[in-house]
Amino acid sequence: MSTELIKVTINGQEFAVEKGARLIDVCREQAFNIPSFCYYQDLALQASCRMCLVRIEKMPKLQTSCTITCTDGMIVTTQSAEIEKAQRAMGEFLLANHPLDCPVCDRGGECELQEMIFDWGDVEERFVESKNATPEKFLSPIVANDPQRCILCKRCTRVCDEWMGEDAIEAGNRGVNTVIGTYGGWLDCSQCGNCIEVCPTGTLLDGTYRHETRPWELDQTISTDTYSSDGMQLSIGSRGGRVHRIVARDRYVDGLNGEFLDVKARFGHGFVNHEERIKTPLIRYKKGGKLIPTTWDEAIHFVTNKFKESGNNVGVVASPRLTNESIFTLKRFAKEVVGSENYTISDVEDLAPFFNNLSVPLATHKEIRHAKTILLIGGEPEEEQTFTAKQIRQAVRNGGAKLIIVHDTPIRLTAQASQFIHVNPKSLDAFALAFADKSDKTILSKIGAAQSEIDDLLKLIGESEGDFIIMFGRDLSAEAQAVLANVAGNFASEKRRVLLHPLPLYNNSVGANDMMAGRKSLSDVLINSTALLIGGSLSKPSALTDGFLSRKDFIVVQEMFETATTEFADVVLPAASFAETDGTFTNNTGFVQRVRQAVEPVHQAKADWIITSMIAREMGVDFGYNFSAPAAFRTLADSIDAYAGLRYPHLKDESKPVQVKHPIAGKKDLSKETDALRRGVEAMPETNEKIIGTPKVGHKLHRLTTMTSKTAQFHLLAHGNPKPENLLVSPLVQFNLDGTPRVEEKAEAASAGDRISDVKRTAGVTLDGKV
Amino acid sequence: MEIKAIGCEPLQLKRVHLENSHTLKVYQENDGYKWLKKAMEMSPDAIIGEVKASVLRGRGGAGFPTGMKWSFVPKDSPKQKYIVCNADESEPGTFKDRYLMERDPHALIEGMLIAAFALNSQTCYIYTRGEYKYLIDIMDEAVEEARAANLVGKNILGSDFSCEVYTHTGAGAYICGEETALLSSLEGYRGHPRMKPPFPAVEGLYASPTVVNNVETLTAVPQIIEMGGISWRDLGTEKSGGTKLWSVSGHVKKPGVYELPMGYADMERFILEDCGGMLRDDKKLKGVIPGGSSVYIMRANDVIGKKVLMDYEGLVAAGSLVGSGGFIVIDETVDIVDSTKNLTEFYKHESCGWCTPCREGTDWLVKIFNRIAEGNGRPEDAQLILDLCDNIEGKSFCALGDAAAWAIQGAIKRFPEDFKPYLNGQKTTSTEPEARKF
Repeated sequence: MSTELIKVTINGQEFAVEKGARLIDVCREQAFNIPSFCYYQDLALQASCRMCLVRIEKMPKLQTSCTITCTDGMIVTTQSAEIEKAQRAMGEFLLANHPLDCPVCDRGGECELQEMIFDWGDVEERFVESKNATPEKFLSPIVANDPQRCILCKRCTRVCDEWMGEDAIEAGNRGVNTVIGTYGGWLDCSQCGNCIEVCPTGTLLDGTYRHETRPWELDQTISTDTYSSDGMQLSIGSRGGRVHRIVARDRYVDGLNGEFLDVKARFGHGFVNHEERIKTPLIRYKKGGKLIPTTWDEAIHFVTNKFKESGNNVGVVASPRLTNESIFTLKRFAKEVVGSENYTISDVEDLAPFFNNLSVPLATHKEIRHAKTILLIGGEPEEEQTFTAKQIRQAVRNGGAKLIIVHDTPIRLTAQASQFIHVNPKSLDAFALAFADKSDKTILSKIGAAQSEIDDLLKLIGESEGDFIIMFGRDLSAEAQAVLANVAGNFASEKRRVLLHPLPLYNNSVGANDMMAGRKSLSDVLINSTALLIGGSLSKPSALTDGFLSRKDFIVVQEMFETATTEFADVVLPAASFAETDGTFTNNTGFVQRVRQAVEPVHQAKADWIITSMIAREMGVDFGYNFSAPAAFRTLADSIDAYAGLRYPHLKDESKPVQVKHPIAGKKDLSKETDALRRGVEAMPETNEKIIGTPKVGHKLHRLTTMTSKTAQFHLLAHGNPKPENLLVSPLVQFNLDGTPRVEEKAEAASAGDRISDVKRTAGVTLDGKV
Repeated sequence: MEIKAIGCEPLQLKRVHLENSHTLKVYQENDGYKWLKKAMEMSPDAIIGEVKASVLRGRGGAGFPTGMKWSFVPKDSPKQKYIVCNADESEPGTFKDRYLMERDPHALIEGMLIAAFALNSQTCYIYTRGEYKYLIDIMDEAVEEARAANLVGKNILGSDFSCEVYTHTGAGAYICGEETALLSSLEGYRGHPRMKPPFPAVEGLYASPTVVNNVETLTAVPQIIEMGGISWRDLGTEKSGGTKLWSVSGHVKKPGVYELPMGYADMERFILEDCGGMLRDDKKLKGVIPGGSSVYIMRANDVIGKKVLMDYEGLVAAGSLVGSGGFIVIDETVDIVDSTKNLTEFYKHESCGWCTPCREGTDWLVKIFNRIAEGNGRPEDAQLILDLCDNIEGKSFCALGDAAAWAIQGAIKRFPEDFKPYLNGQKTTSTEPEARKF
């Protein structure tokens, strides 16, 4: 959009607006309220609800303001008897076949139609005939559908197509019989639930939240997603110490992600109030014995004595899933309490090589959406950084950006790509080397790509203007990441700004890297210490780590559930989940965002940083937080340069997130890393076999653990327990006409089996109606 | 079934009586494809100039000047340009295109090729409604014949002008006669209308410049090239050029397709003499729907003795529209409430469901008509129906909603005496309600 200003007169007042601005947006910015249902910013225009009609001079009919681009000298009336009649008429039409069952509708109280009718509608009801009836149904176990309430704004079909690229939901039939549905069978998609979120009425509903509470009975707490590194802002709906649902509806939260959430963020909250949460501190008095419940006093005392025996041989491991406050406190524990340099984070990748060699700033998600060129090297954003994937898709679809993907697997996003360089399996390092050092031609055979493909890529970048964003993640080795992060700056020119976007796996991978600067590697810490304090189970227990863990004298684990790591623990301290703590996460764009306490810690759980502080205090060191999260953050901010001066009040408004200033290293001599990279590439086996077939993203999903196809995404709980079969996302089952549960696979039948008797009773109503 | 021209030499109907008129041989024996040759010797601008001069107005119903539509196509656009023939003839009461395609398919092909040449297009589509399956077969044969004679395909008649003609079938939706919905359907999407602007001339099929013309409009093009725009125009009036086909149905002795010069004087004479008069001699004329179901119905006393001119201006002056020329004659045995209910059901059934007023409004109107037909009418229903029509008209996404509103408004405003008993609770006497159900 150009910044040229033009004059538009609205209701007699003159405004200077940006050329090309959309009239409905302009009117709303100037507080001329214009009702609408189908209009949704940054989605394809629909102009079907006809609510946003305005009068524009020199135009014969009333015009939909959502389709009008402002032109110079335009004279607009948004309020007149004629317009009001039209708007009330549309409201009346929409209500004609809309059941007035607000008292039993889950959306009642946060329904846009309800609100609009209260604001604009007619009091008198002229419709005396009977309404068309369509039976309720489920589009998938977690998406409930009541077609009668549908006003056919088609936001759902548009987000499905434009945001997710799934196109799983579409309109069927014609005219007044039009219904939203699938192409047959259950929704064949990643079950992100964005269709539920954008639905203005009670047509598409959260199947896991059906009839649980009325929305106004919920406390809405704005917080940050605990799964993906995108740092999506969400609202936790809780009541009576229970998390009932998570939404991103813009009436509750206005974060960087808008109303976008993915399946994990939206539906993966069952762990918070899960019955298998660790309820009290546990002590294993004898190696190989059982974990015995105990009191906090006893547990802290026990831990203190053991740690004093181990002295500075105590190692500290923090999970990148914890808050900045908790990770920082764990580091302080290592340095100030036990005087140990053995502290680390249990991430699957080390982000230090990337951040230490940063040559350009990090891209924000907004910049990704408006980028002109995007280079994605490896990774699977659709699985792991879902919001980034959505921004990439929209940049291409709505913004005309060029997407280049270099990958060993033809991931789904390649459908959006202008250029796809299909490299040999696990040869992305070789590509990184070729990209950084254009002179080296010998590595082409390792990559399995033609020189012309790389030339095309460099040409495309060379010709591009505007923002150029390079994204990569742990598919690249540490050396390759360091080299790429440093050569990125070479592509900058007067017309081209280069930005970097890391693709870390965990919600606070970036924060953990910032907090734990100067850390050792995980294996070093495991080797060099005799006792361990582990905040959050290890991400990937393996034979290696198990071997180390079993040989330690003393292990303390702060955890929510009994996991593979707690099997080796001598003391397990019950930790609070993200919904029970105050703190901050730093996302992959460097935004440091608040995590807020929505419910009291369940049972005897405590926030990780409080647990660590309690041990420290018992050992004679007072961190000076006095159990105040803002104080913990203040200490943290004052000791880390990038966070200098930040306080909680600065982070209060989720719509204006604060980006921490990661230092730009500038051009560095990376010959050491380049050499290491070259050695690694030379050692690669030659292969001609390529991975073919596009992996589906997150299909097949009745249980949270099976939600995604490739990555163990249930990492909040680390590996192991709780047993996946106990974490049903949905207790809902669809039935065949003969009364047997409708299932696509045996495993799903088993998982749903124990709830069938309950469901039968409630589902009977719908069934009868259908039969 | 009468097929004839009255008041002029047959132009559109010139060849339809000939045996095997659908074959290339007969067409060429009667000067066929001569005008394509002539056109190809003219400059594209000159062709568009002739079409402009002819004041040919779109025969599909909207009556938009064809030459102007063609001149909107951006000449400098690097994109492919398309000519699409709208043969989705679905307007109730309209069946003229069907006869043209059945008996004179080469005239359509010639018209499309001239348009393609004038607009520098290499691809033409003929979008036919699904119910006209047999016409597609005829068109396909005609296209094959023309291709064999080097009239379609590469290097037509040895020139460097190449153009392909394809046929495409709709799936039986009225809405696909709306030009943007037709384009959506042609692209393989749901037949939903699209936003205008951009107009098809700028971004139509596959977001490329596209001209969508009715069958009768395109078959008129070779005649214009033959006669020259001005002389063709002079067949009709200054503002409504040429001749027009009228599909006459209803209570007349000789229903059929009639070709009249534009400005043909006196609708009364047309009904009572040209069409053979009223079907039953003892029944009087009650009304006329002159341009397909979507236009205002006319009362007999607006026709009898009023010397209504049958052209765009004349019908507007008489309180209706030319529309698609679906001329429905109604005698006094018809209950206008009943016939309007039937039409309302049609519009409800054919509403695509895209926009609120048309989708919900037509459904509501059908419910009201059903209710009053069952004897549950109330005096205030007349005002309610008019108000709902007003709420649909001008607020719907495309013209389908407007059309539904006009048909109903016309009936209720012009035949209040038919509505009155119903509004006081009288039941319908119609004996065939089942047959009307969609």
